[in-house]
Amino acid sequence: MIEISGLTKTFGSGDSAFTALKDVTVTIEENEFFTLLGPSGCGKTTLLRSIAGFVDPTTGSLTINGDDILSKAPFDRPVNTVFQSYALFPHMTVSENIGFGLEMQNRPKSEVQSIVQEMLELVQMTALADRMTSQISGGQQQRVALARALAPKPKVLLLDEPLSALDFKLRKEMQIELKRLQHETGITFVFVTHDQEEALTMSDRIAVMNGGRILQIGGPREIYDHPAERFVADFIGDTNFVSADLQSVEGEAAEIVLPSGKAIQARSVTGGATSGKVTIAVRPEHATLTAPGALIDGTLQNIVYFGTDTHYHIETDANSTFVIRRQNQPDAAESQKIGDKVGISFNPGVAQVLRD
Amino acid sequence: MARSRAFDVRRQSGFAFVALSCFVLLYLPIILLVVYSFNAGTSIAVWEGFSWQWYVSAWQNEKVQEATILSLIIATCASIVATSAAVMAALATTRTSKFRGSGLVFAMINQPLMIPEIVTAVALLIFFAMIKVATGYTGIWYLIIAHSAFCIPFAYMPIRARLQGMDLNLEQAAADLYGRPWQVFRRVTLPQLWPGVLAGAMLAFVISLDDVVITEFVKSAGQDTLPTYMLGQLRRVITPEINAISTVLLAISVALVVAFYMLSQSKKQ
Ligand SMILES: Nc1ncnc2c1ncn2[C@@H]1O[C@H](COP(=O)(O)OP(=O)(O)OP(=O)(O)O)[C@@H](O)[C@H]1O
Ligand SMILES: [Mg+2]
Repeated sequence: MIEISGLTKTFGSGDSAFTALKDVTVTIEENEFFTLLGPSGCGKTTLLRSIAGFVDPTTGSLTINGDDILSKAPFDRPVNTVFQSYALFPHMTVSENIGFGLEMQNRPKSEVQSIVQEMLELVQMTALADRMTSQISGGQQQRVALARALAPKPKVLLLDEPLSALDFKLRKEMQIELKRLQHETGITFVFVTHDQEEALTMSDRIAVMNGGRILQIGGPREIYDHPAERFVADFIGDTNFVSADLQSVEGEAAEIVLPSGKAIQARSVTGGATSGKVTIAVRPEHATLTAPGALIDGTLQNIVYFGTDTHYHIETDANSTFVIRRQNQPDAAESQKIGDKVGISFNPGVAQVLRD
Repeated sequence: MARSRAFDVRRQSGFAFVALSCFVLLYLPIILLVVYSFNAGTSIAVWEGFSWQWYVSAWQNEKVQEATILSLIIATCASIVATSAAVMAALATTRTSKFRGSGLVFAMINQPLMIPEIVTAVALLIFFAMIKVATGYTGIWYLIIAHSAFCIPFAYMPIRARLQGMDLNLEQAAADLYGRPWQVFRRVTLPQLWPGVLAGAMLAFVISLDDVVITEFVKSAGQDTLPTYMLGQLRRVITPEINAISTVLLAISVALVVAFYMLSQSKKQ
């Protein structure tokens, strides 16, 4: 279990000071696939390197299974890293790379050999064991980097955008492989990505970061269905934002009144306002197209056919656009046409009140 | 379309002439020196036919033998000491976070390149004279120490360049895989640094082999390296033997510089 509390990192000092991590607090469970997701420059790498020991946090605490590790040097920490650039040793073979960590731990030669064999099989690199690492492809290098970090069986594996250099097909394969490895080894994975789809498909939990802060932590479904902030809703998937009046909050249930005057139950957000003007988020596929007189009314502006689904762009009375996504049925004729007056409806509890 | 091109020095009038004169001035004297080392006569200016005799006489000259051995001992020791110091200096200036006065340290490592050699020579002469008076020691260590010192910046430059070009992630990856600082250096940094170390050592070797000024001031009576022996000879009779020795020195230097070049190329692959 990794417990990070109040972690702050300021680079430089005086005028050039830049705070890359702001009061980051998070607990990562044993054997969890935990993902740090956020745009470029939000501090993902800085957080990962703080855990690995290459960045010295300005304040805060960091423990692994109760041990304070901030005072320890990188070689003393029970974590291994898969570097974004792989950082394979160019003067060593694939096997020597994979065995390096074990050798540094002074494991007996025979043990090193058998673990290296095991790792080579795990990442399907047995045939290339004696190649120099400069003579293998990018995808193979990535697998060697993974095997090298896994070989000493660390408590925690840190992965910094390990798949970003791979082409689409290989990336999909490696995503499945990584997930399998994590399941088989029982190691805690802390995975960095800026690809929301990758985060949603692979993670047990996701921390969405922006500007050095963690905005929200939750399972993929929770992050997607119930984003707490506008940034999270916007960064992950497509969203419609609608302003509304918050009447009351009771636990998870929030009573809101839409500009049309219709009231509906929405999902409340922790730490948000309890009344007054708020913004709510509604996913395009969570809303349905109905006759006028619904929760929100508007004029059909555009119909875009995507094969699997169709997007309806509706100009609402409030002079903004609301998108509804509807899954297509085989051979269903399009019943709507551009310019129609239509209504937008969604079920109670679907709309998410945002914090800001 | 015919927009004026970027300035191209090769298109300036007289360029060919200037370039040619420079090459002639640079290389003609050296070519003549090499040619006359094979002169059958005793003159260094009048050609009397081809012969190896001056190489043979230089080879058999005991003074030359002694000077050669001294030169090689000094150059070998100095390049080893200077390279070791340069590796440490390069690590300290590229692998630690910037500290107050790191610019000054950098300048001080390179100072022998900037201080006039004659000043260093005089300073060393006086300094070592004091030590000689105090200890009575007059051996070759003064020369080795002096050569080591002025060779450091030459060894330092290629090593530092190589270190700066190295991926820091490799060393971090090694530390991440439980490598202690010394193990990281030995298993990851040094193997990568090796071409730079060799290049630095060779440069230091050539520079030491070639030095006259500091050696002339620092050496004790009766000690001679090849260059100071040659200088001494010039004050007496000049025979093509000097040419022969020079040619051999030239060959060694060229061989080392070529090797240096190949090493510095190999790192780029
Ligand atoms: N050594 C440093 N000195 C000063 N600023 C730094 C340093 N390292 C990182 N930063 C800054 O801290 C911020 C966060 O950097 P970080 O590398 O953690 O971003 P990231 O989320 O990993 O981005 P990316 O997705 O592009 O890799 C950036 O704005 C970066 O410029
Ligand atoms: Mg990064």
